[in-house]
Amino acid sequence: MRAIPPIWNWRITTICAALLLVVGLAAISFGPITIGFGQIVRTLLGISGGLKGQDRTVLLDLRLPRALLAALVGAALATSGAVYQSVFRNPLADPYLLGAASGAGLGATIAITNAHGNVYSLLPIFSFIGGTLAVLTSFFISGKFFAEPQSLLLSGIAVGSFATAIQTYLQQRHSSSLRPVYSWILGELTVANWQIVTWSSIYILISLGILISVSKQLDGLMLSDEESFSLGINPNRLRMIAVAAATLATATAVSASGLIGFVGIVVPHLVRGITHRVTNRNLLTIALAGAAFLVLADLGARTLLSPAELPIGVITAFVGAPFFLVVLRRRRTVSS
Amino acid sequence: MRTKGLLLVLSVFALSTTTAAYAVASTPQRIISLSPSATEDLFAIGAGKQVVAVDSLSNYPKSAPHSKLDAFSPNVEAIAKYKPDLVILQSSATKASAVKAALEKLGIKVFFEVTPSDLNGAYAEITSLGSATGKKTQAAALVIRMKSAIANAITAGKRTSPTPIFHEVDNTLYSATSKTFIGHVYSDFNTTNIADAADTADSYGYPQLTNEYILKANPSVIFVSDGESIAQISSRAGWGSVDAVSKKQIIILPDDIPSRWGPRLVDFYQFVSRTLAAIK
Repeated sequence: MRAIPPIWNWRITTICAALLLVVGLAAISFGPITIGFGQIVRTLLGISGGLKGQDRTVLLDLRLPRALLAALVGAALATSGAVYQSVFRNPLADPYLLGAASGAGLGATIAITNAHGNVYSLLPIFSFIGGTLAVLTSFFISGKFFAEPQSLLLSGIAVGSFATAIQTYLQQRHSSSLRPVYSWILGELTVANWQIVTWSSIYILISLGILISVSKQLDGLMLSDEESFSLGINPNRLRMIAVAAATLATATAVSASGLIGFVGIVVPHLVRGITHRVTNRNLLTIALAGAAFLVLADLGARTLLSPAELPIGVITAFVGAPFFLVVLRRRRTVSS
Repeated sequence: MRTKGLLLVLSVFALSTTTAAYAVASTPQRIISLSPSATEDLFAIGAGKQVVAVDSLSNYPKSAPHSKLDAFSPNVEAIAKYKPDLVILQSSATKASAVKAALEKLGIKVFFEVTPSDLNGAYAEITSLGSATGKKTQAAALVIRMKSAIANAITAGKRTSPTPIFHEVDNTLYSATSKTFIGHVYSDFNTTNIADAADTADSYGYPQLTNEYILKANPSVIFVSDGESIAQISSRAGWGSVDAVSKKQIIILPDDIPSRWGPRLVDFYQFVSRTLAAIK
């Protein structure tokens, strides 16, 4: 008989953290301008012999914030995806399920079509408000969330379609906004700056902190509500907290980088497939893996067609989908 | 065809905004142009030697230092690699203001090109580019030459009888009104633009028309810029009754020139002039 494996696989968590560090270093090492790796490390550690002048600006103001933003967004999307999957007991749930993506898309389109002057300074705020409002509306309409999570899911789909309809209408009426809206929908991390990194890290890290701290209770949601009650968990309150935190993280990620698809589904399943553990004790691992995945995808997005950029959403789906299928297949053979 | 049509819509749309202000001090020697129109301007005013790279869509003049740099989604680091001292950036580029800020942080000056909406805007841009590159006199001379050549073209092709025209932006029947840059060109020749009556506040000069509307308006000339062929347009259901089709007055516009607001505007005015002089 095989021994029951420990519920948290620290080894894989460490490997993911190491992976994140490696791809992070790779991300800030490659670009159109060649910068020596030794100098990059020296600059980062603040020891003498570091970069000066333009190269220093390229590293610290162009590459570093972009890599950090990719990591934050990847962690937010992957963790929220995993939490939504637990809360709704649905392996297909993703962070955009409750209308967050469509609402944010509508907010972004309103910002792009109506802004006079500096669009991109307003865009994150508009898409954040749009995404949060859409999720709140889904909650409000479903009403029966506490009784049956499935009705929340359905009202999320309805709210999402409604927001998408308005968004498409606006976009058609303002054809000049087609290109910016389209590139936002495909996701973009171009010209990330420290300001975006700072405010998005606040929301995302708080949300992730909450989610990881309740991860042990989240496992209780895999049982029936009666059973989780008997474990001392209030399933309704827990779902509420989890969905709120996951939505905050998602809305922040979306407003900072547009709609980057597939990370929220592929990374959680990938980690569960590799660790053979379905519990939420994996959340930290999932966050680290999501961060590493997106930093790597972004490195591809900006180097494969350099100096042009590939939309990062294209990379996450193109690379993620086949990889995901392999893991699914392997998992099936293991369980049969 | 659709993609080309869309690109054209976008490039034409980029023109509907107003002209910008810029302040560039010393004479730049390593210029990057991320605007096909600005590239043509720079070479026409004799600043071509100061240009180190132009974006992937700048295909004129042939001698320009072509590169893969993208004008629509500029890559700051790839631009910086050329060590430029002046970058011409279109205000309609993705995250233009953020790109501008990042370039300035790297110590690179930015000429923010807000696309002109009429001839005066185009002249103003040439003049500002002249001041920015130390070619003030050449820029002023170019503007004078263009003004007189365009005036001659207008005199030669101006219509005296009512001439309804339709400018097809793409094959889903988007058009351009007289408020747009290209529309100004047609109205200078005293034609009637059938899109004008269909313009609404939120179409920004580029309304989408319907088949029936076009049949009813009965244009006597159709200008096509979306890659559709004369045969394709003639064979559209019901279009046989349109004057432009029955009199074979469907004009395929030359590539690029109608969307470049630089020195080749003269070529475009002369093309339209010849066309209108020849029609019945």
